[in-house]
Amino acid sequence: MKLKKYLASSGMVMATMALSANIAFAACATDSLPASVEGPGGYPERALTMIVPYGPAGGSGQVAQAMAEAVSEHTGVSINRDHKPGGSGTVGMTAFMATPADGYTVLEHIDDASSAHALDSSRPNPAEDLIPLVTSQITFSQIYIRTEEDRFTDWPTFVEWVKAQGGKATIANVSKEGSMERVMMRFITDATGMEIQQISFDKGAPRYGALAGGQVDALFEQPGDVRSFLDAGTFKPILTMLKESPEAFADVPSLTDAGLDFDPLLRFRGFYVHKDAPADRVEWLQWAFQKAYCEPSYQKYNESKYMTLIESYRDTAGSQELITNTIGQYREVYKQMGLEVK
Amino acid sequence: METFNNFLGGTITLFSDPLGIVIFFGGVIGGMLFGAIPGVSMLTLAAILLPFTAHLSPEHGIMLFSVIYCTGVYGGAITAILFNIPGAPENAPTAFDGYPMTKNGQAGRAVGAAVMCSALGGTISAVIMMIATAPIANWAISAFGPPEIFALVFFGLAVASSVGAKTFWKGWLSILIGLLIAVVGLDPVGGIKRWDFGMPYLLAGIHFIPTILGFFAVTEIFVQAENKVRGSYQAPKLSVDFPSLAELVAHKVAVVRSIVIGFFCGILPGIGATLAAFMGYNEAVRWSKDKSEFGKGKLEGVISSETANNAATGAAMIPLLALGLPGGALTAMMVGVFQMHDMEPGPLVFLNSADLVWVVFAAMFFANLSILFVGYMETKTIINLLRIPFQFLAPMILCLATVGAYAVRGLAIDVIVMFVAGAIGFFLRRSGYSVAGIVLGLILGRIGEQTFAQAMQMLHFEWSGFAGRPIAAGLLIAGVLTLAGSIYGAFFKKQ
Repeated sequence: MKLKKYLASSGMVMATMALSANIAFAACATDSLPASVEGPGGYPERALTMIVPYGPAGGSGQVAQAMAEAVSEHTGVSINRDHKPGGSGTVGMTAFMATPADGYTVLEHIDDASSAHALDSSRPNPAEDLIPLVTSQITFSQIYIRTEEDRFTDWPTFVEWVKAQGGKATIANVSKEGSMERVMMRFITDATGMEIQQISFDKGAPRYGALAGGQVDALFEQPGDVRSFLDAGTFKPILTMLKESPEAFADVPSLTDAGLDFDPLLRFRGFYVHKDAPADRVEWLQWAFQKAYCEPSYQKYNESKYMTLIESYRDTAGSQELITNTIGQYREVYKQMGLEVK
Repeated sequence: METFNNFLGGTITLFSDPLGIVIFFGGVIGGMLFGAIPGVSMLTLAAILLPFTAHLSPEHGIMLFSVIYCTGVYGGAITAILFNIPGAPENAPTAFDGYPMTKNGQAGRAVGAAVMCSALGGTISAVIMMIATAPIANWAISAFGPPEIFALVFFGLAVASSVGAKTFWKGWLSILIGLLIAVVGLDPVGGIKRWDFGMPYLLAGIHFIPTILGFFAVTEIFVQAENKVRGSYQAPKLSVDFPSLAELVAHKVAVVRSIVIGFFCGILPGIGATLAAFMGYNEAVRWSKDKSEFGKGKLEGVISSETANNAATGAAMIPLLALGLPGGALTAMMVGVFQMHDMEPGPLVFLNSADLVWVVFAAMFFANLSILFVGYMETKTIINLLRIPFQFLAPMILCLATVGAYAVRGLAIDVIVMFVAGAIGFFLRRSGYSVAGIVLGLILGRIGEQTFAQAMQMLHFEWSGFAGRPIAAGLLIAGVLTLAGSIYGAFFKKQ
């Protein structure tokens, strides 16, 4: 096994190892799990339902599909995906909480559930009110510019140019206040002293189109979501929001390289079940979902989305630790931002 | 010449492969069927088929989705015209005049016009797509940002007061009700909760599909039930007479205008066929000498809507293939099909997979043409559903609409919204308000608010910034002039 790089950081989400995709393939995190496990008392007798709080075409919809197929491949159990988009994941979460805790309904959700709980503790805590089955995607963010851009070409010239615009420069970002993306931009602007207007785009395509068409000057995004633009040479990253850049982006400055001293927040996606579900069924689901992570089809999917640049896998305990630390970090940040933390 | 040779090559590849032919016709028929069932749209079919495309070749997978897209957009027109149930939001404007035509005994003319114009709009759009995908895509994203799209929506809304209401003021009030419904849920900038009354489900907003089903299908059932009780019910007269070619030629200006509008809306990322249909219909109203005829069974209304929404299909493939930017949900799923085969749509597709691109182009061209033939045969049979007596047909439509409303997101609140909209629509129609205006306000309002917020952020919250963007400024001025003319007309007529 060839270990490529360690990413060391004081931040909780940065305690991750960077492994290359082929290594993840060769020695997957769940290889020690048994190849097959009998469901308790004939469970599951019917197909499972997976509630996805986002549409089928986005990142969550795609990872839900990839995971559902991987689980079905190695267990033979079908999973019906039920998309309930809206309210930044609130609708799906509410619908899930209203389903019976019988182990037949699972939930896909992203770090937004953690940040929502951090801001309002009456919202479900994914680490305590739910049982994480597996976290299967963890990724980082970058700032992109157009490759053909000539006003600036890299991070230092970009910062210099933005400062010269007196607040007129623009960056395409998501819209929700308190989201990971907005918080990270706040960190960056505070650390650099640059003033940049964030343009709110809910959907990916108009956001990417805005940069490609020159409507905005830069874009905040995760690399997997803009991989086609990177492969085509349309966009280029100028800042990687990790303490140390992974090998695939070795020539892109990291936070440390750019002199930015803050712990980055990461995007993560995982799968959950009710905390009151029967324990033996939960155990079976943990095995099924954790084992599915290592299915070749799922690994191939993760690789295509740049989800193997840093370790994406967390089992139940690892997920709980990740979520709990993330909630703590968001709470600190929200207080610093002056947001009302309930 | 090179384009033609490529097209010929794509056509030969498509039809020399038996599996390809089966997938092509399966997509044509499947798209039409799923498009015709409200709520259970072509997106449902696409979502079901998505995992299976992994087992198909990339050519077959992408081709299947593009064919479903073309025929699915058309499919919803049939139920919109015959039963006032738009199969999809992009067919809603078709019902504005299509259903009154059915009530007037002109169902055949309306369906025939939808078939011919969908085929025409889609085919021409496919041809333009083949000729100039890359330059058009680059122009569209450079020239049209949020300020321009907002101005386009404003321009569209400015004429909408003329649609279906008894007076100008009732028309505008209808649109404002639609705009008000559009603000329910999280705001598009800061994610602030609005009008949710503490109900998490309302945070997702009022979805326009149950609203459309309520205002159109349920309201119509209530109105007809009332007529039945009062003894004034008249069954729609059955007619299978298609419009003559001369009739369509007489509407050539409307067809060309709608192709331009539909194509234009289709190439804008995130906009697509729904706005295309509404804008196509609105412009038909704007340029009509007698605006009052619209909403009462005017053939031009059906022609404009159906030409525009299918013209958007070919156009929507342009940003997808040239830039990797999906214009809507179905094209976003196509990205998934590409990715399943280790490919990404975008400029490299033309370099690395030119054969695939031309098979898809050829398939879209022939899918639109096939609407003409399959649609003709389908229409001659499906129109006989009008023979079913009202007491049997009404519960069937209500069941279908209920399933459709629930199927959108699997939320019971959508069914409640549908019936509430149906009841409100029943009373609004009696008092001369326009349910079409409400739906228009709802759909355009959501796009308009989002792009307005983005535009103001881009322009640093200075209104004068619009003046520095000629296209946006031109559209805003045209919208203001239209509005002023309407207000002047409303006062002038009163006096």
